[in-house]
Parts: sequence; structure tokens; C-alpha cells
Amino acid sequence: MLEVAIEKRLRDFELRTAFSADDELIVLFGPSGAGKSVTVRSIAGIITPDAGSIKIDGRPVFDASRGIDVPIQKRHVGYVPQHYGLFPHLSVGENVAYGLAGIPADRARARVSDMLGRLDLAGYERRRPRELSGGQQQRVALARALITEPRVLLLDEPFSALDSMLRARLRRDLLTIHRQFPVTTIFISHDLGEAYTLADKIAVYDRGSVLQVGSRDDIFRRPASGRVARLTGASNVFPARLVARAEPHGRGVACDEPERGHGLRVQLAGTDSILAAEDPGGLLQASVSICIRPEAIVVEDLSTADRPNRIRARVLDHVPGATSVTLFCEASASLAGQGRIEFEAVIPAERFRILKLANGAECVLHLPPADLFVLPDDESNG
Amino acid sequence: MTAVTVPASPRVEAMAARRLWAQRGTLLVLLYSAILMLFLIVPLLVVLWRTASSGQLGPYLANDVVVSALRLSILTTTIALTSSVVFGTPLAYLLARGRFPGRGVIDTLVDLPMVLPPAVAGVALLLTFGRRGLLGGWLGALGIEVGFTTAAVVLAEVFVAAPFYVRAAKTGFEGVDRELEYVSGSLGASSLRTFLRVTVPLAMPALLGGAVMTWARALGEFGATIMFAGNFPGTTQTMPLAIYVAMERDLPAALVLASILIVASFVVLLGFKTLARARVSAVP
Repeated sequence: MLEVAIEKRLRDFELRTAFSADDELIVLFGPSGAGKSVTVRSIAGIITPDAGSIKIDGRPVFDASRGIDVPIQKRHVGYVPQHYGLFPHLSVGENVAYGLAGIPADRARARVSDMLGRLDLAGYERRRPRELSGGQQQRVALARALITEPRVLLLDEPFSALDSMLRARLRRDLLTIHRQFPVTTIFISHDLGEAYTLADKIAVYDRGSVLQVGSRDDIFRRPASGRVARLTGASNVFPARLVARAEPHGRGVACDEPERGHGLRVQLAGTDSILAAEDPGGLLQASVSICIRPEAIVVEDLSTADRPNRIRARVLDHVPGATSVTLFCEASASLAGQGRIEFEAVIPAERFRILKLANGAECVLHLPPADLFVLPDDESNG
Repeated sequence: MTAVTVPASPRVEAMAARRLWAQRGTLLVLLYSAILMLFLIVPLLVVLWRTASSGQLGPYLANDVVVSALRLSILTTTIALTSSVVFGTPLAYLLARGRFPGRGVIDTLVDLPMVLPPAVAGVALLLTFGRRGLLGGWLGALGIEVGFTTAAVVLAEVFVAAPFYVRAAKTGFEGVDRELEYVSGSLGASSLRTFLRVTVPLAMPALLGGAVMTWARALGEFGATIMFAGNFPGTTQTMPLAIYVAMERDLPAALVLASILIVASFVVLLGFKTLARARVSAVP
């Protein structure tokens, strides 16, 4: 169990972070320079925060008000920096045995060879780190950290310099190892896909603050604010007005997918479109934001325009990708005198062709209620 | 098979002319290099050749002046090198890793003896450790006489040569990735263990290079030594001083000492470079 609540004044911003984690894999996710690395280095004991406390298994390793600052040697954290930090002048075996000083040589040797075996590194004992592949280097770094039985494992963007195919394999390796050694693991990433694949829990960072901490589903399906929605890829965030809310367990309002009973009706600001949406629960003011991920939008031809949760739009521009096309569309439903409402939608390349879409083409955007989230209004709207 | 001759276009001719100029450039590079190489090598070869042709190498290897100067130089440079490493390593680490006010000034002060004329070092040491110097009086009261003793030779050598080690060691320490030191700490290693098992091995090529430079500089020390330590055979007359004196009275002795210095320096430098290359290929 790790509990972090710290503040640190930095050159460009002030870091304020608070989260806790059990024996799970928590990803600190956010843009570069948001304070993720400072958090990890504070937990490791490399950086001293200005205020707050850090507890590992209930024991404070840092507490500004009580003057506690346990040195890095005594924190029992496994620290794996970018590029793994393997000792280049030591063999794989010596690297892994590094943290076993003070243990009789024969027992240390047995533990090293056991650990190398478990991480699929048997036979590499005498190699130098530079003779290994990226995947093997990662496993050596993890073996070296895990052999000391740390209570927290810290991974500071270990994949940042690697190509995407290797990253995918290393993620799988990391998950396998995490299941084998279920210890609180903190992983820094600014890659959305990586965060989603790895995380039991995600902490979304932005400019020194933790905006939201929650399970992967919470973050991706129930973003706490428009900012979180945008950071996690739900780039369509619009102001809206709450017009109706079904009673809990009531009959709900009729809509096109009645079995789900999506409880909210919202009016997209600047239009007269009324949309059905998920009820996130909790208190909501009349003025809200709605958001939807680009890949959740279904693009259809004009024949469905009158069905519920549809918005007529015109294609402004499109960017073809390898297997999908990103469309930038303007809602045609805008009321006179209101600003433009632009949607970003990602559709399969196949569908783009079938619908014969092009810049300037008319189409219908289907916003499925299950993927349309209502957020409390926040200042980052618009 | 038909040979087709095409009249060279002006552009092709211009290219050919440029290539010729490029070749002339290469020739110039070679010529200039050769001139400087010869300038550096020939005088040294002359010394070795004159020593060999004099036929005095054998007898003079047992000559009193030669033997005592050789012995004194080995003794003093060994002590000077050891002191430079013992005191210079912590200083270099501090300068490389520490963040404190005045670091830039201290860093420059440490470099200063490298660029100062040795005569200045001699005056400075005399005014500090000499009988009437700043500390000389106190040392004298304790019965310690520094000026014009072998200890003075060592002090002069450390003063002018230690900065070479500190400079190189500082650069070496700066080149060691701090993340590796943090990882070592996170694995439970004390600061000392981290320093000895991670920092020093990774900085070793730079440390060795600095040590070689310091030793070479100490071995050649002349100006500060003759001013501060004097020129007494057996106690302060190191090889460079002995050469200076022998040039007037006993040329073969000077030649033999000079030859020893040339050969020993060459062997040490070459050995170090070979060793460093071997280490570089062993450690990325």
C-alpha cells in the first residue's frame, strides 16, 4: 500500500499530487512536464518534496511536518529509470546480485539464478547489458529490482525510446511479470494506448496536478472533467444544457436503445438537438459538458438523419490513416448566430469509402447514448 | 565495341579542377602535418641517437648523479601522484556533483596552477612554506623545515600537477549517469559503496588519464622546484634539474637522463592509451 500526498515548487509549476495504490499497477498518465517524473523521484527518495507525506505500507518514508525523510537506501523501492539504468561494467549476474550485498555468496547465487530463470534470462548471467536486446535489458532491470523484494516498484517511462512493436511486447512482458510479482507498481507514461493496456488504475496528470485517479474504465468512460476527457483522447467536448433526468429505476424516457435506459436528455448548446446520454450520477447543474471519443462516433448516410441521437454534419477535412480515416465535421444543426460546432470522428477506412465521403460531403453523425458522457461544466469548455 | 568520346563540358571541367584542388588540399594537410611531426620528433630522436652513439649509456646508468636523480624523481613523483589522487578525488567529485555557491570560482582556482608559469608557483610556495613564509614560521616552531628539502620537491610537484588529475577526474565523474547512482542507492548501497562500485569504475578511464597527466607533469617539474626546493644532489635534484646542471659539466649524464625520461614517458603514455582503448571496448 502506497499513499502519496505531496507538494513541490518547481521552476515552471507547482506539483500537488495525492493518490494511493494497493498491490496494483498504477499508471501516471499525462503530457510531458506534468510532474509525473517528479512524483516518482519523490517516492524513490531522489527528490525531497516541500510538503506532504509519503507512506509505504503505513510507514512514513517522508513527512515534511514531522521531519521524516528516509534515505533512498532504506526505502525498499525498486527504481527503474528511463533506459533501465543497468550497470554497463557489470555482467547480468552481477547486476541482478547488486542488491544482495550482505547475503552469503552461495545463497545470493542461488537467488540470482532462480530470478533469472523466472524472468526467462537463464544462461545470460555472464553477458554484459549492451549485448542484450531491449526486452532482455528490461527483464534484467526488473529482475535486479525485484530480487530485493521492494514494496514499491517505480518505472519511469521505460519504453519512451523504443519503437512501437517492441513497446507492445515489453508491455506484455511487464504485465506477465507484474502478475508473477504482485507489488505496487508505478509506471509513467504519456502514451494513451500504453496507459490503457497496462493500468489497473490511472492517475491523470496535468500541469502539476492530479486531475482524476480511478480505474481504467472510470477514466475512459467517466472522465471527471473536460480536461481529463481531452487528455484521454475524448477530443469532442461541448457545452450543453441538461433538459431532463429520469428518476432512478423509473421508466426512463423513450429512446432508440430503451434496454439501456440512458437517463439524461441534454441539449447541445447552439443547436436544438436533444440527445440521450449516460447518467454519470451525482449532482449536475443545468449547465453541463458532453463528450464523446472520436472513435465512438458512427458516421452514417443522410437516410438516418431523423433518428434519435443523430446530428447532420458536413465534412470539413479528413486525414487518412493506415486503417482508419479521421474526419473533421461541422454540425449543420447550428442555430443561426451561434458559433460552429466541430466534431472529430475516426471511422474505418472501409466505411469512408462506402459512404463516398469527401471534403464538403453531407453526412450524419450518430452519437450512441452509451458513449456520450455528461460532465459537470468546467472552465476548460469551449 | 566503340569508344565514344564526349567533349568535356565546362561543368565537368570545373568539377575536375575542384577535385584537383581537393587533392592539393590533401597534400597541404599532409605537408603541414609532416612539418609539425618532424619538429616534435626529430629533437627527441637526436637526444636518443646522441646517447646511443656516445657509448656512455652503460657506465652512466651507474653514475652517482644519474642514479640519485632517478631515484629522487621516482620517489617524489610517486608521493606527488598518490597525494594528488587521495586529495584530488574527493575534490573532483565535489566539483562534479556538488551544487554550492562559488563552485565556478573554486573550479577556476583549482585550474589556475595549470596555466600559471611555474616560477609563480615557486614564489608562492616560498612565501607560504618558506622559513619566513606565512606558515613557515609555525612549521619552524614545530621543528619542521620545508624549504629546500625533499618535501619541498613533492609540494612543488603536487602544486603544479594535481590540477591535471582534478580536472580529468571531474570530467570523468560528470560523465557518469546519475541515474545509475540512484539505482545503486535504491538497491540499498551506501553512498560509499555506490561511489566505489559504480562511479569510480565508470569514471576509471578519465581517472587513469588524469593520473598519467599528473605524473608526467610532476616528472617534468623544473621551475617551481628549483626556486622552492633548490638544487641539491640527493635531496632536491630531480632529473630535470640534474639535466640542467649536467648540460654544462657532464653532457653524457644529461643525455642519459634525458633519454630515460623520453623512453619512460613514451612507454607510459602508449601503455595508458592501449589500456584505455581496451577498457572503452569493454565498457560502452
